[in-house]
Amino acid sequence: MPKCKKSEGQAIDYASKLLPPEEEEPFEQHLKNCQDCSEAVASYTAVFDLTDKAQAELAVPEVALKNIEMNVYKRLAATQEQTLFSRIRTYFASVGSPFGWYKTAAVSSIAIALIAAAVLIGKPFQSEDTLRLTETQSADARIEQYRQQGIQRNLEEALITQHLRNDAWETESQLNRMKEQAQGTNWTQIADKHLESLQSGNSTLQ
Amino acid sequence: MDKLIDDEMLVAQFQAGRQNAFDELMKRYKSKIFSYLLRSVRNYEDAEDITIEVFFKAYRALEGWQPKAKFSTWLYKIASNLAIDYHRAKARHPVYALDDAEIPEVHLVATDLHSDPERQLEEKERGLIIREAVDQLSPKQKAVFMLSRYEGMQLKEVAETLDMAEGTVKIHLHRAVKRLQTLLRPLWENNEI
Ligand SMILES: [Zn+2]
Repeated sequence: MPKCKKSEGQAIDYASKLLPPEEEEPFEQHLKNCQDCSEAVASYTAVFDLTDKAQAELAVPEVALKNIEMNVYKRLAATQEQTLFSRIRTYFASVGSPFGWYKTAAVSSIAIALIAAAVLIGKPFQSEDTLRLTETQSADARIEQYRQQGIQRNLEEALITQHLRNDAWETESQLNRMKEQAQGTNWTQIADKHLESLQSGNSTLQ
Repeated sequence: MDKLIDDEMLVAQFQAGRQNAFDELMKRYKSKIFSYLLRSVRNYEDAEDITIEVFFKAYRALEGWQPKAKFSTWLYKIASNLAIDYHRAKARHPVYALDDAEIPEVHLVATDLHSDPERQLEEKERGLIIREAVDQLSPKQKAVFMLSRYEGMQLKEVAETLDMAEGTVKIHLHRAVKRLQTLLRPLWENNEI
């Protein structure tokens, strides 16, 4: 004998509480007299019990949620689209030393190069304090900050390549990349200075 | 910020230039979107990456957004499309699946239990088996099942989110439940519940 027609669609809807209210009562009456349907409802209910429990185990830890906003803004900052840049209004608001984290002597020569560049160009660096994110900062300001951090990181990388790996060709392409990213800011002048000194064959900034 | 301000109002504020309204929208939805994606991709790192991508896309599209549907529906639509892309990409490049932290559970299908009823399963392993069964649904069945069962959406909302007719949503849902019933039956037939 074929199974009761209602034991699929209607039984599933009933077990998942998706049955329209007006169909609920008649179906419950039907359940009393239909073994196919009552067995089906029991088994769908078992499916839901199992899956609900298994899904509940996949809770998102608070710590994973903490950095979502920051990473969204970083992701936005990394894209170089004009629409985004046109929204940026905050430029180089404050000045300070970002070099507190440098530990090794080798890297500190790069820090000196960076400071030299800053002195020449006019200190475009932001202090770590102002780079720290606050809830009250506007999204624009944050995107700009991440962009600046990105530019700074690229400059550092270029200088590391130049001074530690002595690879002029790679340094040049890194500086050009940084310059492109820095368009519209005075970081481009820093890139130019370094490119100049690279092409003249000696690092006058060191 | 006042919880009484609805999402669409925040969107309007964002569009009018108050960008911090986007922060409030992220605060409201990051946990929901993250857990929706976690259930879908079953990997914390990928779920986090896709969550970031969802808000990244939302931010960039929000300026031109028209309130034809609820903001939350639109956000889930972005998330669902990314999740479906993810599953398709993964199906195309199964080798990448080897990096998946949860991949060992592939070997633990429910039928194994049937052939070895004496086996005592840890709660954790059972959870993995069940989630693996859900993973065997087609991407659309899975999306429908997740949205209706775990995101508290009415079928109409699921239909809007996935750009489907409501009838199609129901068909996918029924198929999903039937498939799960087949896959999971050994679990309760062996009194494993
Ligand atoms: Zn029946």
